[in-house]
Amino acid sequence: MTLFESVFAGNDAVYGLTEGAINQAIEQYGADKAVSFPDTAYALPCYYAVTGVKVTTLAELKEALGVVKTLMTREKRTHDVFMSGVATALCAEFIEVLKYIDGAAPYEEPCYGHLADAVIRELGVPLVTGDIPGVAVILGKAKDAEEAAALVKSYQAQGILVTLVGDIIDQLAEVGYKTGANVRVIPLGKDVTAVIHVVSVALRAALIFGNVKPGDAATLMEYTMKRVPAFVNAFAPLNDVIVACGAGAIALGFPVITNQADVARVPKSLICQTDVSKWNATSLEARDIKIKITNIDIPVAFASAFEGEIIRRKDMRVEFDGSRVDCAELVHTCDASEVEDHKITVVGPEVDEMADGSKNSIAYVVKVAGKNMQPDFEPVIERKFHNYINCIEGVYHTGQRDMQRIRISHAAFDAGFRIKHIGEVLYAQVKNEFDAVVDKCEVVIYTDPAECTRIRHEVAIPIFEKRDDRLANLTDESVDVYYSCILCQAFSPSHVCVVTPERLGLCGAVSWLDAKATNELDPNGPCQVITKERPIDENLGAYEDVDEAVKKFSQGALEHVTLYSIMQDPMTSCGCFECICGIEPFSNGVVIANREYAGMTPLGMTFSEMASMTGGGVQTPGFMGHGKHFIASKKFMKAEGGIERIVWMPKELKDFIADRLNASAKDLYGIDNFTDMIGDETIATDPETLVTFLTEKGHPALGLDPMM
Amino acid sequence: MPFNQKLQKFNAKINTVTIGSGDKTVTIGGDSTFPFYTFDAPSENTPKIGVEISDMGLENVVSEGIKAYYEGASTIGEMAKKAAAMEGADFVALILEGGDPNGVNKSVDELIAVVKEVADAIDAPLVVEGCKNVEKDAELLPKVAEALQGRNVLILSEKEENYKAIGAAAGLAYDQIVGAESAVDINLAKQLNVVTTQLGVNPQKIVMNIGSAAAGYGYEYVVSTMDRIKGAALSQNDNMLQMPIITPVSAETWGVKEATASEADMPEWGPEEERGIDMEVMTAAADLAAGSDAVILRHPEAVAAVSRLIKALA
Repeated sequence: MTLFESVFAGNDAVYGLTEGAINQAIEQYGADKAVSFPDTAYALPCYYAVTGVKVTTLAELKEALGVVKTLMTREKRTHDVFMSGVATALCAEFIEVLKYIDGAAPYEEPCYGHLADAVIRELGVPLVTGDIPGVAVILGKAKDAEEAAALVKSYQAQGILVTLVGDIIDQLAEVGYKTGANVRVIPLGKDVTAVIHVVSVALRAALIFGNVKPGDAATLMEYTMKRVPAFVNAFAPLNDVIVACGAGAIALGFPVITNQADVARVPKSLICQTDVSKWNATSLEARDIKIKITNIDIPVAFASAFEGEIIRRKDMRVEFDGSRVDCAELVHTCDASEVEDHKITVVGPEVDEMADGSKNSIAYVVKVAGKNMQPDFEPVIERKFHNYINCIEGVYHTGQRDMQRIRISHAAFDAGFRIKHIGEVLYAQVKNEFDAVVDKCEVVIYTDPAECTRIRHEVAIPIFEKRDDRLANLTDESVDVYYSCILCQAFSPSHVCVVTPERLGLCGAVSWLDAKATNELDPNGPCQVITKERPIDENLGAYEDVDEAVKKFSQGALEHVTLYSIMQDPMTSCGCFECICGIEPFSNGVVIANREYAGMTPLGMTFSEMASMTGGGVQTPGFMGHGKHFIASKKFMKAEGGIERIVWMPKELKDFIADRLNASAKDLYGIDNFTDMIGDETIATDPETLVTFLTEKGHPALGLDPMM
Repeated sequence: MPFNQKLQKFNAKINTVTIGSGDKTVTIGGDSTFPFYTFDAPSENTPKIGVEISDMGLENVVSEGIKAYYEGASTIGEMAKKAAAMEGADFVALILEGGDPNGVNKSVDELIAVVKEVADAIDAPLVVEGCKNVEKDAELLPKVAEALQGRNVLILSEKEENYKAIGAAAGLAYDQIVGAESAVDINLAKQLNVVTTQLGVNPQKIVMNIGSAAAGYGYEYVVSTMDRIKGAALSQNDNMLQMPIITPVSAETWGVKEATASEADMPEWGPEEERGIDMEVMTAAADLAAGSDAVILRHPEAVAAVSRLIKALA
């Protein structure tokens, strides 16, 4: 039988039962008899939420059934299936409400039946906060009581609210499993129609917490789909009625997981998983539920207090040293099917099998998968490993990529700390801090020396090289958007950084990739997307989009900012700049001073004096704050001619940036060893001596047009 | 040449929020001018004053004037009645400082009993302030919102760390007014409003506490933050910053040395009672001038003085 036939047949069967039951009730009580659920202001909540009509009497109920009938169209389209599912659910509600006529109490311990509004208000808050990460609806009869208990327990341990319908209630009672709202396991009832009581919870949550207008079915279903993290687990055998109810669940956005092998599968909605022990993982993945990890399972403490802890050689049990042997640390984006969440594997010897005080290899690969994950975030996550591993009591970490060094202390080893616990820490921290992009995470740690060599040279290094190439090739022209950064507005209220691939934030700490990741992880945070669709002048780096963004984020204090000019509407500075560049009129060039440089510059100003003119979000043409790495950028004051304007910088800074600056000068102007033409404090700190030096060297700036 | 007044017109205004239920309500916000710029347009709702009482009674109160005012009030309910009756008071603010886990650490049940007693004693609009500990408030304030269903109280405050629990309970489940507290930074204030409304809380049911300080204690930050918030709300029509602002003043001012140093230690400063009142009045006046739509005070003389100030200016 096809899914269509199954749902339609189930729907018809339930409709028939409902019609009979209503007619019988009218015969018995009369059409004016009141019908209602106890302790709710929403009449028949499901029918009210979907249609906006409050049913209060049997006559109205009969009328409502007519409305339900109009949903039961029979064309073989998914829409018809979903609507028939909804119709089945509404029929279930009608059958259930008849049980409550005359204030009857149809459910007895341990079953709850209808749940009061107060319960929903109480459950709604932890659902919104994520303290209840999901709602499981378990239906039918497990293979045995043990299987039932294990399934329920797996959800309970994660804080998920469990509701039960059918024989599983008796199975749990059989093994004395504790149920009740206080332990978040709620048996609803033994008839399949009792499932409506959890649907009623979801729909009332939409009315109460989502401000959804009763009768606005489209918004209602969007709300349950997006905000109510419920799913259904249905044990085989499934009959048509259950399949029809399932169609209703799917219409609300709740996936159904079953072990009925021959069920017609619907991707992401009707899933067959014959192994019940995997229902938990399958359900969470299908509903995109992420469980917060509050407790990292390791035998030593984990806190930022231990971040600065140093393990001396005499206190060290073992060390791993990338500068001597093959090591690597790597985040690797995989397909969801290739990652088993929370699986931690150690390939090679554990610490116990390593000689006391020995130097060893280690390579850990953190495999991540997620709908919003991008390979660009890998280095952002990787960079946090240092912090994560350092926060373990008795473990220390320095370096990165294939040059990391880790030591594990005697004390940590004696407390039971092992290699696998590094995996636990990485898993927990990556899942917690990057939950916006990482859905699943698996850690493989290699300590086998041959495997470490393989991972380092065949896996990690090629990936690092690929990343470096991407960074090197990332130009302002090659991307579609830039990012704003207003992290510093707390003390510099009108400053806005515009971060581009070739112009990192002036603090030096926020690259375009960092800004992109920040935006993805915290969509309302300091980094927002700036489009670049409406250029005004590409040479200046002036865009209408950029101007609009700057105006908005500076609350109107700034109207125009160019990306590549120091003279016309230069980008403002907060005060965190690594360097300041200022115009030097005698040579037609610019002087750069870095924060570490305390001496005098040929401008007759020290760094601090230049800073007082540049910071605070003001635009001072001729002065600009920037990051060190911006100096070698081909976009560095491109509008005024670019890096060939640089005539002086402190020696230390010059040495730091020399290789990259020389490479850029070679590319742009064909000049070799450009930095040799640039003055420093050992050559000149006054403009006359500087110009003499520049003339001697034939510095290109002398031949350029004056900047003002 | 005659003076031609040019009116500063904005096509935006601060949201109007009404606190309280029944006959006694208080409405704040609604203006489309900068604070007290009544020459541009008359004020819709003049700024309001709340009188603060604590679950700890008079235990932590140093001022003789405050103690004298509440003399004879033996229960928190009687204190609440006196607070509501204070000359110039528009609403009552109950602070649950006893809940702080680093202090007396009263249980949630104990505090809810206090809240109920106060609510039963008065029909004046009520603001309930938490204990300032984010974890405890996340547990306590949802219960407060539940206990006061139908009273339309303002719950102070949800913060970035606990906005989900408090925003969902106060703003969604129990239909109270959500107080959104940030730490003197326009972007943080806006971000909290954004995430709170994303929860589903109606922006018209949010009041901001953008943070405060006692005058002289880094207070310039408060002024510039309020100034920029009002500027963005009015001139840029930024609807995520158009929530009215409430500022608890006394919690800041009664702890600084200008209010606490005794006259014996600081004879040249004069009587401490006067200094305490002055600090409260000065800070409140500055808050109002910078953009607060309501302030929370303690001393009857301060309440009277600030009330006169509002009447004279608005």
